[in-house]
Amino acid sequence: MSSRHKAVPWAGITAGVGGALLHTLSLFILFTLRGHFTLISLKEAVSFFSWALVIVFLILEHQRKAHILGIVVFPVSFLSLLFVLGVSTDPSFLQSPTTSILISLHSVLIDLGLASAALAFFVSCFYLTLDMFLRRKIFNFFFNKLPSLEFLDRLNQEFNGLGFLFLTLGLIFVMIWSYRTYATIWPWGQRGSWALLVWFLYLALVLLRRRRNFQGKQAAYLSIAGFFLFAMTILAVNLYMGGGHSVF
Amino acid sequence: MLKLTLAGVNHKTTPIEIRERLAYPKEHLNDALKTLSRREGVLETMILSTCNRVELLTVTAHVSPDPEFFLSFLQETHPVLQGHSLRPHLYHLTGQEAALHFFEVTASLDSLVIGEPQITGQVKEAYERARSLHLVGPMLNQIFQRAISSSKRVRTETGISNLPVSISYAACQLARKIFQDMRDKNVLLLGGGDMAQLTARHMRKMGVGSLTLMLRDEKKGRELASEYQAIYAPFSELENSLVHSDMVVCSTGADTYLIDEKMVSAVHSRRKSGTLFMIDIAVPRNIDPAITRHSGIFLYNIDDLKTVVEANQREREYEALQAREIVREELATFARWQADRSTVPLIQSLRNHTESIRIAEVERYQAVLANLPPETREKVDILTRSLINKILHPTYQAIRQSPDIDEVREWVTKCYGLPADLPSPANHSSDGSSSGRLSLPSTHLVEGESPA
Repeated sequence: MSSRHKAVPWAGITAGVGGALLHTLSLFILFTLRGHFTLISLKEAVSFFSWALVIVFLILEHQRKAHILGIVVFPVSFLSLLFVLGVSTDPSFLQSPTTSILISLHSVLIDLGLASAALAFFVSCFYLTLDMFLRRKIFNFFFNKLPSLEFLDRLNQEFNGLGFLFLTLGLIFVMIWSYRTYATIWPWGQRGSWALLVWFLYLALVLLRRRRNFQGKQAAYLSIAGFFLFAMTILAVNLYMGGGHSVF
Repeated sequence: MLKLTLAGVNHKTTPIEIRERLAYPKEHLNDALKTLSRREGVLETMILSTCNRVELLTVTAHVSPDPEFFLSFLQETHPVLQGHSLRPHLYHLTGQEAALHFFEVTASLDSLVIGEPQITGQVKEAYERARSLHLVGPMLNQIFQRAISSSKRVRTETGISNLPVSISYAACQLARKIFQDMRDKNVLLLGGGDMAQLTARHMRKMGVGSLTLMLRDEKKGRELASEYQAIYAPFSELENSLVHSDMVVCSTGADTYLIDEKMVSAVHSRRKSGTLFMIDIAVPRNIDPAITRHSGIFLYNIDDLKTVVEANQREREYEALQAREIVREELATFARWQADRSTVPLIQSLRNHTESIRIAEVERYQAVLANLPPETREKVDILTRSLINKILHPTYQAIRQSPDIDEVREWVTKCYGLPADLPSPANHSSDGSSSGRLSLPSTHLVEGESPA
């Protein structure tokens, strides 16, 4: 990319870094005043997701120079924040909010996992778009801007690996807390089953990657499905399954 | 006032039959340059001679040479063209138009293939040749520096050179859309024609991991393989080679499919990597298009690559619009330098004149000043200098900003009583840094520096 062309992404990234710093400060103030960092409502979860999306992207951008992701990360993050600002009532997920560090870690790790899965989703969409351009021989402006298929496939693998790591740690923390509080490590039922399904899907994504012919399009399709399942599970668990975390 | 003039012919104005006769062979260029420099009024000169253009740049004092000047020179140095009229093909540009054209040529915006990189090197070569013969002075030096600077900016600030416009290079660039790192990739080349060799050269530049060459003629195949640091393999090894290849470039004269669906089906399950990029630039085609039903296989034929090239050409034309903005910025810098430079002798004369008046006046009061303490005398000296500089400062500004240096010279000469034979920029003596025998204007000022 030329330096005149570079000026635009760099301006965007600089603005993004500035926004992320301010967002970090606001989260720090919120968590400090409250004394714990459990995400207790949809509003907070979406706000943290917006922050996590930008942070994971910026870390990756620094290491891999994946500018192109910025064109979706920043708008999605911005729209998430607009949603947060637009929500007037914000009932808590938790019927009896807890200040346990394990629950706090669970909530932020699951949100970080969702942000990583979202990035894998964006990368997969780019992959499938470029694959389609290459097959149909479409050489437009967007084609010229996209990085290589191999690079996108590798990013997809890294984001899914990161998402799986966050998800696993998030679930481990909540299992420890559940065992200490209710003497059971897994709350079987709709909620627990959906969470386990998401975890198995990401486990499959990570393990299948070891097979030589599971890459590219198959991995992209599964990443897209994984992200939707992850996001729907979080929404369903928290909003529609009897108050979600009500047992806690 | 120094005058920059550019005259020449190029691929837009002149057919190849005339261009090929006008191009100077390298061994004759020095003689041509010396001949041009000996012509009346020529202070600096440079000749750019490529297969697509012959351009003559001259710097003269006061008057720009007319087209006849250049036509007669071209006829003189190309006796074979006696009797041909070059007038309809010749373009003749002066001042800023000449500079703009030279900038656009150097930045490859006037090339047959916009953005091609060779022209900048050819301009550098032409400049170095003229410089080695002491035919470059401050004006050509400055225009060359600004042209190279604009060319660099065009390359780095626009995408003009990133988009390939040759079939073989487009094939390599498409590979970059599929593979991130070519260093661990195996490329298989079928055939040894020009296109295959060009692709092999590009592949080597891209740093591919390994290159395997297959040719029916084993002797030629081994020769070519050694030239491109490739491994030679016979055609009987085709199926095995496909198993380990990431990219295949096919350019043989065979009239049947060398790689068909059956072969690819047999190979596909044995391959380590899922992605196989195949380029079929042979006519008739050597690869069966049905193989694309396998996932991870991308196949491009010659027509597909032409589509890439056409799309890139359109994109280059769009990038050229941005490039022209950069060129205009650099041209403005050159124009400022030129304006500053043409005003230097006048400002210098005015300064010398007022300074001599000041010294004379101070000396007139020497008897009075002698009674003062040395610190006070020094203060008087500073005061008189400062007073003159402050009074003259608006005049210096007006001189610098004036669009017509001759008019302002006349006005300043009358107002301040300067000597009528005030030196003009063109007949100043050389500062010794640029050339031996040319009489060039001196300047001790760097760009933007004020003489006041």
